[in-house]
Amino acid sequence: MLEPVNVSLESLNLMTLAPMLIPIIGALLILVIDIIKGGLDKTLYVMISILFLLLDLGAIAETAGQFTAGGTIMGVFDVMLIDGLAILSQLIIVGASLLFIPLALTHKRFHEFSYPEFFALFLFMLGGFQFMVATDNLILIFVGLETASLALYTMIAMHNRDKSFEAAVKYFTMGALAAGFFSFGAMVFYALTGSVEINQIAAVLGGNGFADMGFVLVGVVFVLAALGFKLSLVPFHTWAPDVYEGSSASLAGFMSIVPKIAVFIVAMRMFEFLIHSGVVWLEIVLYIVVVVTMTMANIWALVQTDVKRMLAYSSISHAGFVMAAILIGTTQSNSALFLYWIVFSFTNLGAFSMLWISRQKHLPDHQSSDHSYNKFSGMIQTAPVAATIMGLFMLSLAGLPPFALFWGKLYMISSAVTGGYTVLALIMALNSAIAGYYYLKLIVYMFMREPVINKDGHVFVANATTPLRTIIGFAAVGTIFAFLAINPVLEFITALVFKSGY
Amino acid sequence: MLDNILSILIFFPAVAGIFGFAVQKDSIRAYGVSVAFIEFALSLMLWFSFDSNVSGMQFIETLPLIPSFGINYILGVDGISLFIIILAAFFTLIGIASLTDTKDVKNMIITLLFLQMTMVGVFVALDAIVFYVFWELSLVPMLYIIGAWGGPLRIYASVKFFLYTFTGSLVMLVGMLFMAYFYYQATGTWSFAILDWYRLILPETFQLWLFVAFFFGFAIKVPMFPFHTWLPYAHGQAPTIGSVILAAILLKMGTYAFIRFSLPMFPDAAVFFMFPIAVLAIIMIVYTAMVAYAQEDVKQVVAYSSVSHMGVIILGTFALNVEGITGSIFLMIAHGVVSGALFLLVGVIYDRRHTKMMSEFGGLASVMPRFATIFGIMMMASVGLPLTINFVGEFLSLLGFYQQSHILTLLAGLAIIVGAIYMLAAYKKMFFGEVTNEKNRNLPDVNKRELIALVPLVIITVWLGIYPKPLLGPINNSVESVVQLMHDKSITDEAKSRIPNLIDGVKITRTSAQEAH
Repeated sequence: MLEPVNVSLESLNLMTLAPMLIPIIGALLILVIDIIKGGLDKTLYVMISILFLLLDLGAIAETAGQFTAGGTIMGVFDVMLIDGLAILSQLIIVGASLLFIPLALTHKRFHEFSYPEFFALFLFMLGGFQFMVATDNLILIFVGLETASLALYTMIAMHNRDKSFEAAVKYFTMGALAAGFFSFGAMVFYALTGSVEINQIAAVLGGNGFADMGFVLVGVVFVLAALGFKLSLVPFHTWAPDVYEGSSASLAGFMSIVPKIAVFIVAMRMFEFLIHSGVVWLEIVLYIVVVVTMTMANIWALVQTDVKRMLAYSSISHAGFVMAAILIGTTQSNSALFLYWIVFSFTNLGAFSMLWISRQKHLPDHQSSDHSYNKFSGMIQTAPVAATIMGLFMLSLAGLPPFALFWGKLYMISSAVTGGYTVLALIMALNSAIAGYYYLKLIVYMFMREPVINKDGHVFVANATTPLRTIIGFAAVGTIFAFLAINPVLEFITALVFKSGY
Repeated sequence: MLDNILSILIFFPAVAGIFGFAVQKDSIRAYGVSVAFIEFALSLMLWFSFDSNVSGMQFIETLPLIPSFGINYILGVDGISLFIIILAAFFTLIGIASLTDTKDVKNMIITLLFLQMTMVGVFVALDAIVFYVFWELSLVPMLYIIGAWGGPLRIYASVKFFLYTFTGSLVMLVGMLFMAYFYYQATGTWSFAILDWYRLILPETFQLWLFVAFFFGFAIKVPMFPFHTWLPYAHGQAPTIGSVILAAILLKMGTYAFIRFSLPMFPDAAVFFMFPIAVLAIIMIVYTAMVAYAQEDVKQVVAYSSVSHMGVIILGTFALNVEGITGSIFLMIAHGVVSGALFLLVGVIYDRRHTKMMSEFGGLASVMPRFATIFGIMMMASVGLPLTINFVGEFLSLLGFYQQSHILTLLAGLAIIVGAIYMLAAYKKMFFGEVTNEKNRNLPDVNKRELIALVPLVIITVWLGIYPKPLLGPINNSVESVVQLMHDKSITDEAKSRIPNLIDGVKITRTSAQEAH
């Protein structure tokens, strides 16, 4: 006969679940509202989403307070794990979402935003990502990853352009493959250690001195491939530009930030102990992946004729740049990862949002794609403010001081120097120089060429509403004055990361 | 007010530039001149309140920026940077006053004011990251000036200019980060403050690597041979004002940074690389002089001659003694004045004929006598005629290097003489003889506005050529402390013997010599 299970509510520590449950409740609420009374305007759903995101933020702040007071919190049969990494990444996830969701308030009536399901899916997706970062249980990571990914596939497909279906299908098949890899890798680790919890795996493997090295490597390869897909590391990146191109610009911007930070956290938890275990082979593989991702993506970005694809490749390159933090694996580099991703999030989201407000509902005949470079020719004459802001985002992405991303790059390269990776630091610096070229290309088009297609400045703000302008203004101000905020943010990040033991 | 004068000097033009957007188009020129004039007056005020007897930093301002990572907003000025700041303010004023481009003049003036912010920022920053911020930021307005107002190849030229310097400075950034890390290892705290770094004594191997990393950033900016290839394009395509600012100020960032960073921080590496760099500098002097001789475009002649003279500055810098470094700093000012003036003069002729080809001209002396006179004076100064400003700098630079190597100095001296040929040849082609081209017959001579810009330059050229002491005093003072620091910090015997020790040697004899006067 089975023993009755007695669980006290306190030992479950349900508070650890609160940040994930809030968006899920929000999503359910949106679905219920739609069932009761259909045909309501999207503004309602946008506002509900924002409210729940704010509640979510409150819950994260609550857990953050407990963490700083008492250290890592475990909950729900020790499945949930709230530490500094979880808190920081959830802050980034929710913060970026707060910047993203108001972008739905366009005055053009785009297809995807007319569905309430879009917002429900969005909140489900957030819940999934939050699950991923707040656990070290491989199964729950997998569940969170798949919840988020399935929602994301559907959101991409809702964008009513031919390419978006292609993008969704491509993303889905690649994602399914990655899921298979991930579960296989997890299986190998379970077979080796009898556990699916990363800290247990680390303890057992460390205990027997990595006796079954061959199997460990098999597991690592599969997990790395799975995470590589999600992070769009070269050579698993091939879906990324097409998917970004097929999605709406704002969603592409979102995809370049939020899913990646979630996967970075998983990678950090997974590879940190492996790298410090002295497995030279893994270090070499990661080193190669990092360098190749940075460099190749940069080179491909050079030859793009569409700004959105250029930004897609540049996002891949940035992901490789940040992956270096995990390779270096010091407290400074892990802090640098968060700092980089925070400044990257509003700069990149700002850049993609600029594409979003210049999106036209119907493409004119002479324009082959939504955002060809030619479209931006001479923008300084027709829409000077928009051109200046776009130029600002480009300079920031290129890492020109004193704009936001420079400080991220500075701290990241510094962590490479400090960690003894001087050559890597040089490669990172030179890659920034290569990247300078394609960001500069857009600036050259905007500022130095004559307008060729449109004498009409209206196209650049075709889709602009006050909320969109506000978001972009916020991103621009953040990009310019980031240096004022770097010190408190850095201290906060470093304290949390250090306290989590990374 | 003088407590914050450096911050005011940096940010006043930028803030004024932002207000400039609200000024009507036909009044913007007056606005720009007023702002630049106030800035120039402020920089003169800095000079007057500068204490020439103090060799260290003055007017220091400190403000925490990212203290947990050792980045602070630190400003200060010494004899080495003082006159370059004044030069920057002066040339912005002259540049705006003489502005003849009519297209989009409002954007041009606002861009120039932003450029001024970055230039002043570079020369007063005492924190490596703040320095780097202004150093990189200066690329943006210059990119825009070349790319929006330049010649037919302007986009290529501007992008090349940007990418070359951007790449070099990123390598330098890695060096800076390593330096800060080294400081962290030595002391346990992070610091990017230059004065903190001065106190570090680095092992020789580290010095060599760091020297090379910084060298990339600086050498591309100077530009030293073989990194100079962006410069002819940039000059060739830039509008007159762009060339003037580029030659007069922006190039000086590189040579200034050598003295501010490379020499006092890596004295042993500086000695180690002294002869290779001197050889590069001599190649720079000879090679670019020969290239200049082959040019048909007068602006390119001036551009290459500008590179050639930068070689002398480098040579003086790497003499690693007081005479050489003082000479090279003086020559930076002199080169700024003279080559800036020459570019302005080329601009004058370009405005009238819209060509810079020397074959189009001839016998201009009879048509435009005043122009020919000013051009002649400036050309003589460029050649290094005694009693002109360039002579003082070149003489001191060579005198300095003579103590390190007689033969190389002799070569450089000969090269300068040979280099004079192209200037005289160019002058001959353009000004002497009969008027060969009918279009030149009725060219108007320099007008009032151009005279307002040019005459002060002529006066400075001659005045400081005859009486350089007001500048040499403060420069010398600061340079002595740099050289002494280098001597004290150096660890190899080679460096100890190459870098003079001023305390128990030269300095005492100098003061006694002065007393004997």
